[in-house]
Amino acid sequence: MTAHRIMIIDDEKIVGDMSKFSLEQDGYVVETFLNGESALERLKQEKFSVVITDLKMKEIYGLEILRTVKQLYPGTAVIMITVFANLDVAIEAFRDYVHDFFPKPFKIKDLKESIKRALAKAAIPGDGNCWRIGIRFP
Amino acid sequence: MKIIHRIYLSNAVNIGLIILVVALTLHSVTQVMTKFKFIEIADDINATFLEMRLEEKNLFLYHNESTLQQIKNKIEQSSQTLGQMQDDILKAVGEEKFEFLKRLLSNYQQCVFLLNDANISDKKIEDQVREAGKQLKSFSEDITSLERKQVSIIIKGMIRVMKRAFVAVVIFALIISYFTGQGLRNSLKRILSQSRSISKGNYQKIEGNAGSDELGSVIVAMNTMTDELQQRKQEILQSKRLASIGVLVAGVAHELNNPLNNISMIAQTYAEVYDTLGREQRLGFMTQIEEQIERLRATIKNLLDFSKPKTQNLKPMDINPVIQKSIDLVRNMLDVTGIKTHLDQASDLPEVYIDSHQIQQVLVNLITNAIQAMSPGGKLSIASRNVEPGHDIEISIQDSGKGIPKEFLDNIFDPFFSTKEDAGTGLGLWVSYGIIKNHQGNIRVKSIVGKGTIFTITLPVYQKKKRD
Repeated sequence: MTAHRIMIIDDEKIVGDMSKFSLEQDGYVVETFLNGESALERLKQEKFSVVITDLKMKEIYGLEILRTVKQLYPGTAVIMITVFANLDVAIEAFRDYVHDFFPKPFKIKDLKESIKRALAKAAIPGDGNCWRIGIRFP
Repeated sequence: MKIIHRIYLSNAVNIGLIILVVALTLHSVTQVMTKFKFIEIADDINATFLEMRLEEKNLFLYHNESTLQQIKNKIEQSSQTLGQMQDDILKAVGEEKFEFLKRLLSNYQQCVFLLNDANISDKKIEDQVREAGKQLKSFSEDITSLERKQVSIIIKGMIRVMKRAFVAVVIFALIISYFTGQGLRNSLKRILSQSRSISKGNYQKIEGNAGSDELGSVIVAMNTMTDELQQRKQEILQSKRLASIGVLVAGVAHELNNPLNNISMIAQTYAEVYDTLGREQRLGFMTQIEEQIERLRATIKNLLDFSKPKTQNLKPMDINPVIQKSIDLVRNMLDVTGIKTHLDQASDLPEVYIDSHQIQQVLVNLITNAIQAMSPGGKLSIASRNVEPGHDIEISIQDSGKGIPKEFLDNIFDPFFSTKEDAGTGLGLWVSYGIIKNHQGNIRVKSIVGKGTIFTITLPVYQKKKRD
């Protein structure tokens, strides 16, 4: 079984670096990006199992990343991290099928749990909301 | 005195003058009418006396009995007329002259009644009758002509009084209008200049005595309104301040949470991978924690610096050397980035009342921003000018940089707002704004994406009188 690919987008370099450090210990393949543009470019080339993105980045907002990912790969789970929790934005994100939402500072342990849940969900056909598309029930 | 009272008074005085003139005229007209009535009667009597004297001449020429009777009849007729017209005659000539006329008539009557067939040729009696007739006729004619003269005098007097009254009314009306108008003009001028200064955001009251008239009440009301407006402005400023505290708190949360999260992540990862790390890697982790703590410390220091109320060291001075000094401070940066600087300073600028260090801080901040927006290369234009002589001067800093998108223009003076990619503190423009506002000035921005940005600072001119 090939390792799951995880993308991390945050303009704070340490967030990417540390998450990569920790997630690689668990056997994930991790790529980090400091801005939305380069991340979107990369997403066009390859599918990731999980995308972890900062909600508020300078050029492209996290919500835009979420929508683009869901459009390109409905099966990819998106986890958001934010430094400035805002209920309205959180609700909007959940409407757009965000998998989880972490306000900073957060526990890497919790993030890992969330990733596991997302991958487990994706493994059961017909369960993850993204898999509903195209399935016909008799 | 109130304007309405002034108008009432001037009208009352004018009406009084007119009533006086009319009364005088009526009095004179009544006098003239009395005199005319007398002259009419007197003319009749004079005519009778003339006829009497003609008959008298005939009598002494022809000694005719019927002529004597006619004279007696005429005397009787005249006597009756005098009796009937006694009131009118008395009014016109007075009792003394009337009594004298009656006496002369009765004297003539007595002389005529003495005449009879026996003495009619008597020269002595004839002379007596002629003398009495002559006296009667001449006195009667005298008083008639005297009354005629008096009528003319009264009419002339009347015309004179009317002319003078007319002049007096006109002069009085002019004087009253002048003083009332002058008062109105002065008050209106003060109100006008105050409303102009309020519209410019300068909440100055109208100084000096408001006066007791209606415009005085308007001035008092305007002053109250100015107070209210000032209070409202303070309230708005206060609420804006509160709103900016809200923005500030959000910014603080952002600025503090990021390094805190970083430290937390480093610590968690460190604990997790501790066993697999070498000495150098462990030190690397610690260094990163140290860097994040340094970042926190810098943010907190900045906040403390900006929240500290600084005492302003205000002095009246020329702005041009302050601009020059600010440019000198960033000269090296300008040279390195290859930016051309164009400086256009007005030479006749009035002094401004400023803390030169604070204004320098603002100018250096704006110039640094401009350099960052343009480099490498570009053109920086700095100008000072006298926009409103005696009121405001203006400093403009224009760059040919990339410009600020329209949607950001409303927020650029907010704390922690930054469009810089290398993440500035986001406090520079916020602090500059505060400094300029503390100088009672204003700072505006105009920007076109791709063409450049212009920041314009307005500072009030130093008013010696006001500060002393």
